[in-house]
Amino acid sequence: MWSLMATARERFQSCRASETFDKRMGTRESLIYVFSKSVPCTLHERTGYTPARIRTLLKLQRNRARGIWTKKLFFCPHSLVLIFIGLATTLTAAEPKAALPDKHFTFLENYCLDCHDTDTQKGKIDLESLSFNLGSIESAEMWQKVLNTLNSGEMPPEKKKQPLSAEKETFLADLSRQLVTARKLLADTGGEITMRRLNRREYENTIESLLGVQIDAKDLPSDANAGGFDTAGGALFFSSDQFEQYLKLARTALDRAIVTGDKPQTKTVRNEAEEEANHRISSTFRGYYMGGYKKIKKLEADKTLKPTDVGLDDQQLVDFFKLVWSRNSPPFSDYLSRVETRDGALLTIGNPNPQVGLVIPDEMPAGKYIVRANIGVMPRSAPENCFVEVGFRGERFDAAMELLDCFQVRAPQRKPEVIELTVDIPPLSKPLEIDVGSQTKKRIPIGERVIAFRQRSHNDRNAIVYHHFDSLKKTGFGPEPTLWIDWVEWEGPIVENWPPVSHANLFFKGEHAQKDEAYASAILEKFARRAFRIKEPEPSYISDLLGHYRSEIEAGKSFEEALKLPLSIILASPGFLYLREPTEGQTKRTLSDAELAVRLSYFLWSSPPDAQLLKAAADGTLQKGAGLIRETNRLLLDPKGMEFISGFTHQWLHMERLDFFQYNYRLYPGFDDSMKMAARQEVYQTLLRLIRRNLPIGELLKSDTVVINELLAQHYDIPRVNGRQFREVKVPDGIPRGGLLGMAAVLAMGSDGERTSPVERGTWVLRKLLHDPPPPAPANVPQLSRHAGKLLSAREMLEAHMEEAQCAQCHRKIDPIGYGLENFDAVGKWRETEYTETARNNNVSKSKEHPIDSTGTLPDGTKFSGFYELRDAIAQQEAAFARGYVEHLIEYALGRPYGFSDAQLADQILEQGKKAGGSPRHYIHALVMSPVFRTK
Amino acid sequence: MNHRRHFLRSATACIGLPFLDSLGFRRFASASAPAPAPSPKRMIFLGFGWGVTKETWFPDVEKTGSEWKLSEGLAPLQRHKADISVIQNLENQYNNEAHWGSTFYLTGANRYAEPGKSFSNTISADQVAADQFGAETRFTSMQLGSADAEKDGHGPGLSLAWNRQGKPVAGWDTPVVAFHRLFSEDNTPLTQRQAMLKQRRSILDTVMGDAKSVGRGLSQTDTEKLDEYLQSIRDIEIRISKEEQWLEVPKKQPTNPVEEPSDSLKGWQEVEVMYSLLVAALQVDATRVITYRQPGGTSFLQSLNQTLTGHNMSHYSPGARQQVSELRDRKQSELLAGLLDKLKATKEPDGSSLFDHVSLSYGSNINSIHYLTNCPAIVSGGGAGVQLGQHIVADKGTPLCNLWLTLLQGSGVDVESHGDSTGTVPELQG
Repeated sequence: MWSLMATARERFQSCRASETFDKRMGTRESLIYVFSKSVPCTLHERTGYTPARIRTLLKLQRNRARGIWTKKLFFCPHSLVLIFIGLATTLTAAEPKAALPDKHFTFLENYCLDCHDTDTQKGKIDLESLSFNLGSIESAEMWQKVLNTLNSGEMPPEKKKQPLSAEKETFLADLSRQLVTARKLLADTGGEITMRRLNRREYENTIESLLGVQIDAKDLPSDANAGGFDTAGGALFFSSDQFEQYLKLARTALDRAIVTGDKPQTKTVRNEAEEEANHRISSTFRGYYMGGYKKIKKLEADKTLKPTDVGLDDQQLVDFFKLVWSRNSPPFSDYLSRVETRDGALLTIGNPNPQVGLVIPDEMPAGKYIVRANIGVMPRSAPENCFVEVGFRGERFDAAMELLDCFQVRAPQRKPEVIELTVDIPPLSKPLEIDVGSQTKKRIPIGERVIAFRQRSHNDRNAIVYHHFDSLKKTGFGPEPTLWIDWVEWEGPIVENWPPVSHANLFFKGEHAQKDEAYASAILEKFARRAFRIKEPEPSYISDLLGHYRSEIEAGKSFEEALKLPLSIILASPGFLYLREPTEGQTKRTLSDAELAVRLSYFLWSSPPDAQLLKAAADGTLQKGAGLIRETNRLLLDPKGMEFISGFTHQWLHMERLDFFQYNYRLYPGFDDSMKMAARQEVYQTLLRLIRRNLPIGELLKSDTVVINELLAQHYDIPRVNGRQFREVKVPDGIPRGGLLGMAAVLAMGSDGERTSPVERGTWVLRKLLHDPPPPAPANVPQLSRHAGKLLSAREMLEAHMEEAQCAQCHRKIDPIGYGLENFDAVGKWRETEYTETARNNNVSKSKEHPIDSTGTLPDGTKFSGFYELRDAIAQQEAAFARGYVEHLIEYALGRPYGFSDAQLADQILEQGKKAGGSPRHYIHALVMSPVFRTK
Repeated sequence: MNHRRHFLRSATACIGLPFLDSLGFRRFASASAPAPAPSPKRMIFLGFGWGVTKETWFPDVEKTGSEWKLSEGLAPLQRHKADISVIQNLENQYNNEAHWGSTFYLTGANRYAEPGKSFSNTISADQVAADQFGAETRFTSMQLGSADAEKDGHGPGLSLAWNRQGKPVAGWDTPVVAFHRLFSEDNTPLTQRQAMLKQRRSILDTVMGDAKSVGRGLSQTDTEKLDEYLQSIRDIEIRISKEEQWLEVPKKQPTNPVEEPSDSLKGWQEVEVMYSLLVAALQVDATRVITYRQPGGTSFLQSLNQTLTGHNMSHYSPGARQQVSELRDRKQSELLAGLLDKLKATKEPDGSSLFDHVSLSYGSNINSIHYLTNCPAIVSGGGAGVQLGQHIVADKGTPLCNLWLTLLQGSGVDVESHGDSTGTVPELQG
């Protein structure tokens, strides 16, 4: 601050000094003369002249000094000195600015102004009078155009003088950065929080908390927006189909939540796995395959026969049966010949027995079911194969399934073990509903109520087929069976209370209450109050709802049924769907206790407050510092706190990339959905550990501990970790893990499923760890394709980036970081060499091995000789990392983009959080304690 | 409440009566039936996310006018060469989002146009047309899409369409949904259906009552947010009015009935079926304005037995990836050729073909890779009276919106400008 004031004073003094000059020259020009020496960078702002104009004037002044005068510029706006004084004295704090340094005028002058000065304006482009201040939409647009044209190489035209590579690089680097700043400045909400609609996650959780049932809201329009969090109110739109979808979803939820009749009987049903499997496999083999094969045999034995004579439509079908016989007879006959299949079922990847299924019969109600399997491992099985995946069966027997969990199996086949999990079984025929006027056409997807068990594999039909072919070649009979299932069983529905709490909450007077209109009205009012969180439902609204109840009763519905319509209307009303914080005509207002409770619980739980939080709000302890911290801790450490950890981290670290790719089965057989699921969990569990133990956020950059389960331990070559629960493990010597940079999820995100992408990884590190995001990938930059088709290492390919200024300006910073991570392959396993190949139709035509060169330099000049030094250097940047975390936290918690107007808030949070110990939890404390968090 | 209902009644009154002919009502007309009503104009906007292969998709810029050759990527369109025009050098000047092939495609908007917001959009060309053409059909406009759009390079949005407030308009994302909405008959008795419409109306009244009280005391920005909700309720009310009006009119079946599509259609098969549905929808005059945000990414490639993801393909370089990108182009051209076949083969009541009354556009906001200039653009159909069989190389930087304006005006939409248009594309007007 002082240095700025001094500058202002200095400017003021020099301004007075310049008065003597006025006698010889125009005032404004004299100012220019003086300031061109002292503060050139802000000249155009002080005078209002564009830098280009200033340069012209300076040139003129120099000429004048040499006695050359022109008439053209002889004018004197006298008032300017005063204006300047005013400017100088009000200059107090460093406002964020998007301005291009004046030094770049030289660039324009040398390469652009020949054609694009004010006089010529070729193509109606006047760069001479273009302000170097990018603070308005118009000037930002114009500069964007300049950037685009330079990036595309369109300008300067080929026959004109070309800028030196280094010159162009600096200019482009500054311009693209300033444009990012300008966009942010222009989009700054000034701290205003827009009222937000519940996003899909919040909607699902809120319904669950109100009605006690899980629903799937994936049919609602996506909440994905232009780069922000799904909590950003401004970007959460409402489209007209949505309203009717809300009504329908609410109805589905109410159908489950409102129960009638007696408590359903819990049943246990066990199926011997071999019964279904053996029947299916032998009838497919002996009936279908062998039937076709016998026909072919007949055809081959008698050359006079046509396909139709043996019951085959045409030659195509003949060929088909030949093919399937050759592929399937070995695995099927092998399967049926194995002694283990007499009292159990073997699981194979692909045919003949890809899954053992467990059907929950149609007559069973929806609800919680325990699903079990008695399962063992065949002798001499590879440890990485000894995992069973459980999920809802997909549309086809051998197709992708909806994965629920993955269990390691350690018991031998002769002494199997029981695995079990609890599954929420949806109501029968949860249909894909299509409205046709008032009628609904229902389509029933397959597999909704079928739980399947299978050996761990890629969740993709092609991969399963490949695996089958590959192993057929290897063993002659197909995949070697690893897992053996003795029996599978289900037990359910598991009902703790009858009627369930959610039902009892709605029908609060119990089962023997008088079911009349007064009771209906009370039920509706009570539910509307809960659903609306804070806002009181209007009496007229309740009476409208009651009207709907009445017409349903008149239509002959029962009391409970008649209430479903008005209840579902509540769940489609704006009072429920929007997190409302009225300002009541004020610009800023402190939140009420209840509003604070709602904001806190949607921040940390993505759900409405529970009774305890509401109580803290009601008795006034929540607004008190200690009370707020106590509740924050309770919410964070509650199981529902995982909503924050996963919801925030997934978006903060851009983890949707993990789902962008199908990881190549042949290159990375072990990186299947179970591994992906575990890898994602590792990130969440690590953050949870820091929050739980109050450990500093720097642990995410480098740590001697990892939080993993046995699946990841195998991936990381860490011995002696058994079981699927995540636990803390000290990283053994020589294992390159500990911190985000060693995590499979992060490394796999930085690939395309086949090869690593040093660019993706480098960009991610700059964005997420070093908090120094490069500008977005520019449009229209010529693609470098000189190396295409050659067998080059990723690094060799990328070095071409340095040849073009357009690329070099950003990639000089990005790529070397990626090089430092090249010892990790596309799924994050350690490697010493990189293998490249060109392939056509699955046949490798050329291949080459490249030793990894993982040396590089960070943007600040720090050199590193490989991964470990890179990680150490990044770990030094904990402050920058914490800042990135805090800025994202502000954005997520307040539901609006982080703006420059938040800089002070971020500073405060960082300072307080750091002082308290620097754990992610401490920054959360500082945020919720800040006045901004309690202000609308 | 009264007030609003009043407004709606009058709004309903504005909705014109359907052309009798197009509804199969002719049998009720007088014995000396007048000549068939002139076929209405229709507009189809097809958009794909990831652009094309620029090396092989665009025709040679040296050969323009009617003296041009189809490029490799357009080769499957050979039989329709005289009936398509390719226009080069169109662009949306404000779009800098290298992976948003559809967000601003039909709008030409500037993402940053509104201070204090990091995203804004404006009305899309199809919705401008729908405002004028939509009143006479069962569906004001039809938005088709696909389930995987988010990964298909389309960018934010729910379809190609954006409403007058610049908010996304949702669409039908699977052929099976489109099929049932268009052609499945509702067998519920009429009185019951009327009662249900009344009930839906009354539900809207109830939530509007709550909206009014929610709106009390809100800040300006929050009020605007709530307006999105209100707008959607108004949209539904108009829809209900329309449904009421069409309640007793049976859904007309196309002359060659479309079969109920399977649930699991993906990739090119999905596009093919959607194209059939689209033609059928126009034939029965269920709507006159259709957008289709086509799948063209991962699932599309999988249907061509390719394992690359859409994003990876879009970043092609010479070699295997470019080959995949070219394969995608050819398949898309083949599908388009199939669509044109169908449009030509479908007859209107007056004996002309549907093709003659349709204005069709096909393209993307992305050229290829990260290039946003020279957006791929093909027009076809006789509806907008544009010159066909032409290869037009416009001036560099010609707004894509000039094309939309040309098509809108040519189709008889009363509009002065659209988006950032600076005029029409004169070469198309002959």
